[in-house]
Order: sequence, then structure tokens, then C-alpha cells
Amino acid sequence: MANNKMSVDVRGFIKGIQNMVSELAGVEEIKKFVVKALNSRINPVDVMDAVSHGMNVVGEKYEKGEYFLSELIMAGIIAKEIMNTVAPYLNKKADEKSIGKVVIGTVKGDLHDIGKNIVIAMLSSMGFIVKDLGIDVPCKMFVKTIENERPNILAMSCLLTSSMNEMRKVIEELSKVGLRENIKVMVGGRPVTPQFAKAIGADAYGANAFEAVKVAKALMKRGVRHE
Amino acid sequence: MNKRERALKALHIEEPDRVPITELDIEIPHMETLTGSRFSGNYSLQTSVSADRKHEATYIKIKAKCYKRLGFDVVFSDLSAPDGWETVVKQNGTTTDEWGRVLVRDSQTKAWLPGGSIFKTPEDFKGFVSNSPDPNAPGRTFAAEYMKKIVGEEMAVAVFIRDPFAHVWEMFTPTTFVRWMYEKPQLVRKALKVLTKFNIEVIKCLADVGVDFIVSGGDYCETKGPMVPVKYFREVIFPLLKKQVEVAHKGGLKFIKHTDGNVNPLLDYLVNIVDGVHSLDPSAGVDIGEVKEKYGDKLVLMGNVSVDNLATKSRKEVVEETKECIRKASPGGGHFLSSSNSWFAGAKLDNCLAMVETGKKYGRYPITV
Repeated sequence: MANNKMSVDVRGFIKGIQNMVSELAGVEEIKKFVVKALNSRINPVDVMDAVSHGMNVVGEKYEKGEYFLSELIMAGIIAKEIMNTVAPYLNKKADEKSIGKVVIGTVKGDLHDIGKNIVIAMLSSMGFIVKDLGIDVPCKMFVKTIENERPNILAMSCLLTSSMNEMRKVIEELSKVGLRENIKVMVGGRPVTPQFAKAIGADAYGANAFEAVKVAKALMKRGVRHE
Repeated sequence: MNKRERALKALHIEEPDRVPITELDIEIPHMETLTGSRFSGNYSLQTSVSADRKHEATYIKIKAKCYKRLGFDVVFSDLSAPDGWETVVKQNGTTTDEWGRVLVRDSQTKAWLPGGSIFKTPEDFKGFVSNSPDPNAPGRTFAAEYMKKIVGEEMAVAVFIRDPFAHVWEMFTPTTFVRWMYEKPQLVRKALKVLTKFNIEVIKCLADVGVDFIVSGGDYCETKGPMVPVKYFREVIFPLLKKQVEVAHKGGLKFIKHTDGNVNPLLDYLVNIVDGVHSLDPSAGVDIGEVKEKYGDKLVLMGNVSVDNLATKSRKEVVEETKECIRKASPGGGHFLSSSNSWFAGAKLDNCLAMVETGKKYGRYPITV
């Protein structure tokens, strides 16, 4: 369990938050610590950076098999709670605080949403604004939402092999209506592979929720338009 | 040797005349194609959704006909909703099962799938416990009894029940389950115990019906590995699993655990609890040959032609994969040839049939493929 003792120096606070996230400290305990840090004039942006570093440690442990899916989900819950705690101190609108906007949905013909919902929790916890279109999302709805919301990233998920080609259909439709070049597309789900993602013209593939966040961050760094 | 005898031999890790073949489930569109029969109702492998016995009987008859036509050695039955249970479909098209899971209907497969939960706060669950489903309610074993009546001794009959962990994971939804697992551990343990108690009573009833074995459905694992720490499995989930298996054994029933995903980290424990494992998911990196080598003298293996490949690969590739599966897992007995999950509607039926034909051709003992 992380050291939650109040520290007087900035580095102590930051390291403390990072450790509490990576060691999955209790939500209330870590929220109290974050409030103390913020009241001690620790920069809220530094707090969010500490959360991000803590989440990276969690992700690495998950990749190595030291943490399991439940710990990945719990870290996402903790990060989201910290985000909510920090929000009033940032004095900015939600869009300004976010690191990007993602439209996400399970493609038409597929009603599965467990994996998608975990990805949403992780993306939200890392500072993305996420618009969830739900399950069984028709191509038209993806296109219309992208037209209206102008997100940076479209994320599509499916569990059924029979629904995989819907992803290709959406990407083709985005090209037809001239929206494709302004958005990055990432895909994932049990039957999806990097080869399939490439074949249908997606920009990226995420093998799991943690990788989806890494991929989304990388896509943002690659210079996606951010309105 | 008839089909049931073949299956029972394999269940006891002995070599029958041929490797038994079956599928945990075949989705309705394929069953309709294979039998020429039509089914107008809804169903779910994951929960009991209707006590309309006429529809249920129609579904069971189609399933039995389909499994017979395919020459399968085992047919699977579900648990039934109790007499009088009514499926109430809301305006948004969802319904809620006995266990508080909100279900969404897939129009293509006519199956109800979990898509939400009525449990938003710990209090919601506390209120539910006192009125939790009655395992001994009249009608609970209707499907199993009806299936047994139809197939008699021709095929082995297995019943698909839900694993308490997987059930509670879905009942609460994964995010809430995990949060409560950390913050309200006693509540989650209570929920798991409620489900275990239910299963124990149901297993006793199923033993009286005279079915041959139990398959406990619901996943323990995802592609990378177990969904919760192995320690949690050891300390919380496995003791409850063991209780169910003991009751099954007392009733003369074998007990098979199904899970998708990478089950490798759990096999050292499962080998001392259950009689067999279903799926052995090759897409998650499980090698049935390695499992056979390490646990084949103690564990019945059911699988593992890739369910993904049934949808995407050619007939020739599926034939080769099936031969490889038989070569690795069938020698010595204790192997049921099946896909790594079920014949879902998106699988190519010709590939599914190729798997069965290959099983019948190359699965004869002694295995020489």
C-alpha cells in the first residue's frame, strides 16, 4: 500500500499520488491526499501527470502479468475519481481540460459491450472526452456523430467475427463523405488483429484496454486535429 | 458402442471407439438450416428467459433433432425459468432476468445477451438477497427433463449452469463488480455464496433428473489471463467451485468448467477441482497439446478448433486444424472434439460441418492421424 503521509515538498506529493495509483490505494484515501496536495498549491496539471505515470505503471504490470484485468479496471476507477477531484481546481471547461475527444461504439450486428465499456473507463480516466454510441451502432450513426461532434478519434469494437466487416464499411463511408482525413480510426475486439486493422484502412489497433489508451495517446501525438 | 457410451468413456478418460464430438451450443440460424425447422421464440444460453413451455419444448426438439442429425454424442440443455416466470420487455427493448441482469435481444440470433444491471448501489443487492431465485421452484429442470425424455440413452445429456463468479461479474457489470470487490469485499463474497447455494441445490435436482454431466459456463479468463488475481481465485472462487463439484460427484455427475481466454495460469488449481475443462481457447494462446501432456491423465479436455477460424478460414484449413487437434488431444481418451466455444451465427456452416466430418474420419481409435 502506498505511503499516504503528508509530505511538504512537491516531489513527495507527486510521487505519493503516483504510488497510490499504481498500488491501487483506496479511493477515499487517495482523494483526501489529492485534496491536501491541491490545497498545498500543488499544480493540478502535475497531479494529473502523476496519475498518468501511475497508470502507466499499472499498464506495465498488466502487460507483464503481475496485474489482472480487475486491477486495470480498478486503476481506471481511481484515476477517474482523481480527475473529478482535480476538475474544480483546473478552472477550465471540460473540452479545454481534455486531451482529446473519442467517439466509440460496438459496430452493427454486435451487442457486446464489456470490453468497450472498460476501454471507455480507461480513456475517460486518462483525460479523454468519450462519446459512447453504445452497441449495434449502424454505419450512418457513426458518420453522423463524427460530422456533428468532430472528434479526434473514432474507436470501433466488435466481438463477433461476422460483424468485423462493419468496421471496414464505416471507414469507407467516412472516406466517401470526406470525413476520413480529419479523424484517426482505431479498432479492437476479440477477433480483430493488427493485420485486419491495416487491411480495412484503420490507423491503429488496440489489443486490450490498456493498449487502447496508449494507442489513443499516440494518435493524439501524431497530430490529430483537436478542436 | 452408442453415442452416450462413447461420451461416458471419454468422460472417464478412457478411449472409446471414436473421439466423441459435440458443441456447447449452436445458434438458431444454423439449427434452422440444419433441421429445416423454424423457431419463432427467443432464447439465451446465459440465462433463463421464458417459462413458455410450448416455445421451450419447440426449441429443445429442434436442438435434439439438430444434434442427432449431426451425429453428435452429447446434447446440452439449459436450466429453465420457474413456472409462471414472465419475460417483461420494456419500451427500450430490454428485459431483466431473475438475477437482475438487463438483457438486450439480438435480432439476428434471437438470443438475449447481458447488457446492464439493476444493481446500482450495495443496497440494491441487499434488498435482492432476501428474494433471490428459488433453485427448487417448480419447472426449474423442465428443459433438462424434456431433453432427457427426447434423447433417452441415445446421446449423453449435459446441463449448462452458470458459474457464480461469471454470473455475479455480469449481474453487477464488470466495473461495479471490481469496485465492490475492493471496497465492499463482503458484499461480493455474499453474492458469490448466494449463487453457489443456488447452484448446489440445482445440481442436486439435476442428479435426480438423470443427466450425465454438468458444464459450468461463464468465463474466468480473458485473452491475457484470469480476470481477477489468481489469489482471489484460490481464496474465494475455487472453494465455492469445489463445493459445487462435490455435490455433483455425490449425485454421480461429472463436472466440466468452461472458460474462454487464457486459462493456463489456473490449470494447476482446476486439475484438483473439476473433471474437465472446455474451450482451451487457441485464440488466447492455449495449446491443447501442452495441456494434454501436463494434465491429460486427470482432466477431460473439450475443444479446441478455433471458433474464430470457423468464421474466417477455408474448409481445407479447418480440416487441417481439426486433424491437428485430434492428433494432440485424442490419444489416450478424455477428449471431446468441439470448437473452442460454439457454432455462432457468424461461423461458416460448411467449416463447422468440415470439423465434424474430419472428427468422424480421423477420430477413430487408435488415433493414427
